[in-house]
Amino acid sequence: MKDCCGPGYSSPQEAIEAPREKLLYTIAIYTGTGIQKPDYLATVDVDPDSPTYSQVIHRLEMPGIGDELHHMGWNACSSCHDDSSMSRKYLILPGVRSNNLHIVDTATDPRAPRLHKVIEGAEIKAKADLSGPHTVHCLGSEIIISFLGNAKGEAPGGYLQLDKDFNIIGRWENSMGDIKFGYDFWYQPRHNIMVSSEWAAPNTFMPGFDLEEVGYLKYGRELHFWDFEKKVPVESFYLGEDGLLPLEVKFHHNPDSTHGFCGAALSTNVIHWWKNEEGKWQWEKIIDVENEIHPEWPIPLPGVMSAILISMDDKYLYLNNWLHGDMRQYDISDPHNPKLTGQVFMGGLLGKAPQVNGVDVAGGPQMFQLSLDGKRLYVTTSLFSTWDNQFYPDIRTKGGVMVQIDCDPVNGGMKINPDFIVDFGQEPNGPSRCHEARYPGGDCTSDIWL
Amino acid sequence: MTEYRVTLSNRGGAAYMVNGRRPLLEQLRDQGVDLPYGCEYGGCITCAAKLVEGHVDQRRQVALNNRQIENGYVILCVARAVTDITLEIGVESHDKLYRNPFLDPLKPHELKADIATPEDV
Repeated sequence: MKDCCGPGYSSPQEAIEAPREKLLYTIAIYTGTGIQKPDYLATVDVDPDSPTYSQVIHRLEMPGIGDELHHMGWNACSSCHDDSSMSRKYLILPGVRSNNLHIVDTATDPRAPRLHKVIEGAEIKAKADLSGPHTVHCLGSEIIISFLGNAKGEAPGGYLQLDKDFNIIGRWENSMGDIKFGYDFWYQPRHNIMVSSEWAAPNTFMPGFDLEEVGYLKYGRELHFWDFEKKVPVESFYLGEDGLLPLEVKFHHNPDSTHGFCGAALSTNVIHWWKNEEGKWQWEKIIDVENEIHPEWPIPLPGVMSAILISMDDKYLYLNNWLHGDMRQYDISDPHNPKLTGQVFMGGLLGKAPQVNGVDVAGGPQMFQLSLDGKRLYVTTSLFSTWDNQFYPDIRTKGGVMVQIDCDPVNGGMKINPDFIVDFGQEPNGPSRCHEARYPGGDCTSDIWL
Repeated sequence: MTEYRVTLSNRGGAAYMVNGRRPLLEQLRDQGVDLPYGCEYGGCITCAAKLVEGHVDQRRQVALNNRQIENGYVILCVARAVTDITLEIGVESHDKLYRNPFLDPLKPHELKADIATPEDV
């Protein structure tokens, strides 16, 4: 069966039953840290039977400094499962600040990925008038990447399309409509729908977070629904105060489902959407994390939910509160009525877990990747260099950490795994900061089924 | 072409000559100064340095708010010297570049130039 097929899995259920991950890739940055070294892709050994378990076993440096690696994406996923000519070989690593796209070969030696090609930021600016790359999704045999600005760093940017050999085709979308900002996107082809969210213009968010600019409408508060085949936005939802900084967008993995979710970072809410019986898209707020009072601060502290993730069985939604310091697990079997089933603290500004497994956490839970079977959640602590420097200045000397949370996919519940921690404060070139993570065989934030 | 002297106060007073036509980042890096940078068009503050003395033209920067400008920060990837200048470079100069917005809000005149209101109206 496998011999005839392309990358990924025939269904989410087949993905859940795949072998356990043994390697994990995460980016680690020096941009903005004061260390004059390139950002890099770290290979982390996550095989408990290996002598180098819980260690960085390889580092692939980018060619220059100042990229700010951030999110990543595969050249192919389960959307190409029927195409035996495709394979999940290349990881694409955009540099948010430099605009460079690094194409990394992870298949020739999965433990030691190598650089295959760099698409220079200047070429992307010249050919597509785009900067500030963020989310990478494959699309059958092609690749689309959201960019948050034009070549001058002004919103709303657009989408770059690459062919399977990583040549620039040009802009993917036929129109940005009235969209003001870009950020993340996810698509559900059986319903001909793509949903995109809004952060801000690169010139607004790259220098750091001026909270005051939210009131001047410099940050997003809308979700956009696209006709995926026509490549045009067709409907937008204004989320208002409930949806300030709507960032990560996830549909159910079940390709027949119309249910999807977005984490509004500053409002610290989860927005849920679905198509009703009349065929109309609806939205509601289903989770509202209350602000916390910091003993010494004049303004109540929002959680800052910078990421969400849906387990491969669509049963659990995971979210972070980067400033409060907790990771949460909600049972979303009924997506209208989520139930909190797990919570752990790691770092954060409320002082509830300053150390994890003996390591100081100078940051809060930020990005996370869940194993395909839903049992292991790998969590990192850095958001973005300039924002880290504002909220967690100690991260400059302590670096980021990667923690493993053991999750119970049957009864719910989360707890810190006592045997695993990767302290990026101890890296050979000095403290670096880890962010997004991926597994060689595909993961819970990459694969889409046609 | 007029040349200006750039003195780096936190590099033992090392001095370099630059012209006023090209950005400081490019000219200093060409002379071997190891400086941080990111976007290279004035849209991010990775390359910020503190101007201790003298004047620069940094009209092309769009990243700094008025408080950061008031505190002397300049964006080296687009700033050009217009006099002899003294700079403090690297993250050691970033003590006032970053602030926690929940602890220390900006006043209306301290916002970025496009949304700031004058201090005395």
